[in-house]
Amino acid sequence: MIKISRLIFDYPGRRALDDVSLEVQAGSVTALVGPNGAGKTTLMRCIAGLETPLSGSIEVAGMDVIEEPRAVHRSMGYLSDFFGLYQELTVARCLEYAAASQGLSAAAIPQAIRDTARRLQLTDRLQQLSGSLSRGLRQRVAVGQAIIHQPKVLLLDEPASGLDPEARSELAALFRQLQADGMTLLVSSHILAELDEYSTHLLVLRDGRVLENRALSVPAHADEVRILALQLAAPDARLAGWLKAQPGLVCEDVEHDRAEIHFRGDATAQAGLLVALVQAGFAVSSFAEHKESLQQSYLRSVAAHLEKTS
Amino acid sequence: MMNPEFRRNLWLSFSTHRLIAMPALLALIFLTAAITAVNVPLILYNTASILFILIAWGWGALNAGASIVDEFREKTWDQQRMSALGSWTMTWGKLFGATAFNWYGGAICLLVMVVCGTLSNRPNWVLEIPTLIAASILTHAMMIASNLYAGRFDSNFFRRGGAALIVLLFVVVGIGLQATAMRISNPEPGSTVVWWGMVVGDENIFLLESALLFMVCATIAAWRLMSNALQIRTLPWALPLFVLILAVYCGGFAEKKWFSLIGFAIAAGFSYIMLLTEPNTLLLWNKLRLRLQTGDWRSLLAELPLWTVTFLLTLVFALAVMLTWPFAAPDTRAIGALIPLVATVLLLRDVCIVLFFSFAPNARRPIAVAVLYIIVLNFLLPYFFEKLGLRAAAYFCDPVSDLFDTEPYGTVTLSLLIASIHAAFMLGIVIWRFNKIRRQTG
Repeated sequence: MIKISRLIFDYPGRRALDDVSLEVQAGSVTALVGPNGAGKTTLMRCIAGLETPLSGSIEVAGMDVIEEPRAVHRSMGYLSDFFGLYQELTVARCLEYAAASQGLSAAAIPQAIRDTARRLQLTDRLQQLSGSLSRGLRQRVAVGQAIIHQPKVLLLDEPASGLDPEARSELAALFRQLQADGMTLLVSSHILAELDEYSTHLLVLRDGRVLENRALSVPAHADEVRILALQLAAPDARLAGWLKAQPGLVCEDVEHDRAEIHFRGDATAQAGLLVALVQAGFAVSSFAEHKESLQQSYLRSVAAHLEKTS
Repeated sequence: MMNPEFRRNLWLSFSTHRLIAMPALLALIFLTAAITAVNVPLILYNTASILFILIAWGWGALNAGASIVDEFREKTWDQQRMSALGSWTMTWGKLFGATAFNWYGGAICLLVMVVCGTLSNRPNWVLEIPTLIAASILTHAMMIASNLYAGRFDSNFFRRGGAALIVLLFVVVGIGLQATAMRISNPEPGSTVVWWGMVVGDENIFLLESALLFMVCATIAAWRLMSNALQIRTLPWALPLFVLILAVYCGGFAEKKWFSLIGFAIAAGFSYIMLLTEPNTLLLWNKLRLRLQTGDWRSLLAELPLWTVTFLLTLVFALAVMLTWPFAAPDTRAIGALIPLVATVLLLRDVCIVLFFSFAPNARRPIAVAVLYIIVLNFLLPYFFEKLGLRAAAYFCDPVSDLFDTEPYGTVTLSLLIASIHAAFMLGIVIWRFNKIRRQTG
């Protein structure tokens, strides 16, 4: 859905994006993470056609962003980190203006407003001035403006900043719903736990370069070690010795009733290990992969990069 | 469907209270004026024209400027840039939408002017009304254009609408200059205007024609700058065309033989204005270098600073002066014909001074520093050396002014040589700095 090739963007005295090439799959929710100054916002603004890069190309839904920015905008929604609303307009008029300026026909606009308001739980706020809304509601209106024309791609720069936990949870639910409707989302945020709730892909940016861009549901590499968490129903003193005797297993944090196993192998091999544990007489109450959080993935990616560069 | 930008502005501008208050207030003012007047239609006509100037022209100009500045301030500009509206739709939506309430009040004033103009048998009221309308649209469009242009800079002064003050100054000076030019070429008030040797009607008709011409120019400027703001790439034809139009317009007030010189002065003036207001960063020039290397001519032309185009036009006019200098006397011919060329070479030197400071790493206020050095080089040093009696040194610093002396120190050829040395030296160090910093930054 988004295809970027050899993108370079400079600020005075600093290269913000350095030869960035990546693809974002249709229907995915990509978490764009990285430290401050990594180039996340610049990348988003280039994809949105708000900045012209030094070189490189950006395609969104098959259209060249640099050549046809206005046409691309019909297929795209963008919520800036520092968004503003027309304070003196009602929520309904804010949404109506957004819909009309994105080219929706006059006949389609009332329904689009109703649908968007219902989706964002703004129906009872439609006649309220946007300037009188709370931070969370303003954020919802801004998201509504970005999605009212049903874009194929939605870019969100720090969408949850300043929101309370309840509003964040609602926003996460909305993003999952938008993805289910077939929308492609690229979300930048510092709050990785929040991104964890709905992201399908991880894109790590550091010093203007892509460190990692992969789907979160599959391991980064085919031979990657997975962490399996073992829990016994009752303590068994034999556990540490038995695990140590198994070829190819590395165990950490082994107690009499639990262990963390660094396991290299597919699902069949994992099933085989479980059978062996049961046959050896261990009362296994739980044996499952310990899923790496986005935070852990990000930190591991950064650590690998630092190790490589050092 | 109605232009969304125009409609949004209508939503913001009109309320029931405002719809009622404007005509009520105007009616009260007209009533007050009528009660105290002897010649009621004439007083009402004058009152309505003053109110039109205040409400539609002046207040409208502020609202037109605010239609851009408010977007920056309210952080809604990105949303507008992300919309699918075309640049023309956005331009006229702001031009007539942001000023709609002013036009509402203005329309009432115009209605009073039409009625009272007819009743009072006031001469030329039929021409005055469209002239006022055109002048208002011209000013509104210029306010939008100037704030869009200023939006490129990080300066808070510009982003808060400071450019509007400069534009208003330009409009006032422009109107003053035009009135002066018309008065010089046509000393009798109300007389017919002769332009390029042709009688083009009386001065009121010419004023209307001028206002319409510049209204169209200003609207095109606003549309072009809106295109740039919306990331629509444009080729640099509009400014040189405007310079040519302005040269032809101003040239019409003088004798034909002065046309090239007038064109030269206008093109050089615009070159300096654009040079001192456009970004000339190392980033931009590095980008242009890349476009040149890859043969991406369209991008190169779209991103080229506009002073480069007006500089070429200045050079063309300078060469035209050289070929068409009107005075036949051999002694003055050589000097007069070549002075614009010498000045053009010095313009190139000043361009290089601006670029040299703009390319400096961590440059702070490079334009201000460059202007300071240009002033020192062109005025302070020559004056200083002159006062010390070092005429050769003064001549070396300023090889143009000397040529106007009754007994010049140098010759025009020597002046051209000295100016070329200035330009070559500055060009050399600009290229050196560009390459040095580019190597350092990779």
